[in-house]
Amino acid sequence: MKRKPGTVNEQRRQILQMLADGKITADEAERLLTAVETVEEPDPAAPTRGKGRPKYLRLIVDANDEHSGETKVNIRVPLKLLRAGMRLAVFVPPQALERANQELVKQGVPIDLTEIKPNQLEDLVDALDDLTLDVDQTDTKVRIFCE
Amino acid sequence: MIPQLVTARWRRKDGRTGRLFLPVVPIVIVLSPLLVLAVIGGIIACLMFDMPPFRTLAGVGRLFWALPGARFDIEQGRTAVSVSIR
Repeated sequence: MKRKPGTVNEQRRQILQMLADGKITADEAERLLTAVETVEEPDPAAPTRGKGRPKYLRLIVDANDEHSGETKVNIRVPLKLLRAGMRLAVFVPPQALERANQELVKQGVPIDLTEIKPNQLEDLVDALDDLTLDVDQTDTKVRIFCE
Repeated sequence: MIPQLVTARWRRKDGRTGRLFLPVVPIVIVLSPLLVLAVIGGIIACLMFDMPPFRTLAGVGRLFWALPGARFDIEQGRTAVSVSIR
């Protein structure tokens, strides 16, 4: 629940006034002030969605391989870029999609790319806002999220 | 906003490092005659492959406009590459 700072200050003033008038004890005033401050302080664990929509898709990989040593990948891609790419993908000619479908089937991924519509792609990128993927293995850590 | 500066940094196995700064706007201005040819070639390719040329060009432009903010850092052992677009 959001409250205006002025409202919280007003509540504090009222509590102090009640204490000064002797209507409440010092303990009660302390409890009330704590309650007001708890409502005022934002939860640090809460997601920062209130600041606006995420702008970037981040991919962080931290792998430790005996053969190639430590590998670190840190990629930040603007979501705008993904959207632009998706819009461009709409113009891919049908014959190219057919060939891509054939290659996907060969690889054991039976997805028909011709069935994917532009608005579905838009929805897909919009849904990325809420994506957080953590893969934690012994030697490898992968983290994908939006910020 | 179009990309202003592309920064590439790398580190080789022997520890030598390098940096390259590419100011995009001056490079685009210098290469503009070639870009005109590339656009004409792109339009012809679109017509050959049955794609809408101007909408495709607009899509490529949007892709270019959306580049600022992209960053790629890859580090493996002693070698590392970092590309940042601002």
